[in-house]
Amino acid sequence: MDQKPKLSDIHQGDSLPSVVKQITQKDINLYAEASGDFNPIHVDESFAAQTPLGGTIAHGMLILAYISEMMTEAFGQSWLSGGKLSVRFKAPARPGDTITASGKIDSIEHKEGIPYVNCSIESCNQKGETVITGGAVVKL
Amino acid sequence: MPPTSFDQLAVGHEFPSTSYELSESVIGKYLEAVGGQQHFLTSGIVPPLAIAAYAMTALSQSFSVPKGAIHAAQELEFLKSVPIGTTISCSGKVAQKVQRGQLYLLVLEISALNQDKEKVLSGKATVAVPV
Repeated sequence: MDQKPKLSDIHQGDSLPSVVKQITQKDINLYAEASGDFNPIHVDESFAAQTPLGGTIAHGMLILAYISEMMTEAFGQSWLSGGKLSVRFKAPARPGDTITASGKIDSIEHKEGIPYVNCSIESCNQKGETVITGGAVVKL
Repeated sequence: MPPTSFDQLAVGHEFPSTSYELSESVIGKYLEAVGGQQHFLTSGIVPPLAIAAYAMTALSQSFSVPKGAIHAAQELEFLKSVPIGTTISCSGKVAQKVQRGQLYLLVLEISALNQDKEKVLSGKATVAVPV
């Protein structure tokens, strides 16, 4: 993780290493305890069942953590101190879902001699529905 | 200070600055919750999403988050890596609050500094709140 990728190893169109995770209510409860976010939509099954969502959903930041894991795997230290993302949470991730974080390199541009890698990123569930979509930029 | 009610939140409202330590036990618990990435513990670096997650939780404790509120969008910029054990000070303000049909969209600007007052993270969170 201390390493930064070499620019010569990065190419437009390359796929980023996917991260696959299965979501359980136990994972969601653990995340609530770790983060302190006990919004009942995540942890109170009887409350969540009465909302339009019809049941509990995972924290958006939990699902986003899988995208960050993928970006760390791909870009190491450059992601930790030079990464930027902008995403929309399009659909809820629910207990029982299998979430795949994936991405690809859209372009590499240079600004004042510094290379920036532009990526499209997303997370999908096992039905192929997009849960998170957006973009990320990494300064190398 | 009691939490500000959601109705009282207006554009420009600044949340009180809050500090929290990203200790090894805090990060261990976070990594257990997100499943894996144990290399962060061995390298002594905080996962960047953990900085953001704790900043958002700290800010959300300053106001009453209505039940049923959900996260709609997120922007984040990681400016500097953070060693485990760092004390983070985070601050935030309401950048936007608009009603769209049966929802309010609340946009919060977030910023986190390390103990040397260097900015390590900035971002914007959009929360959808049922009317």
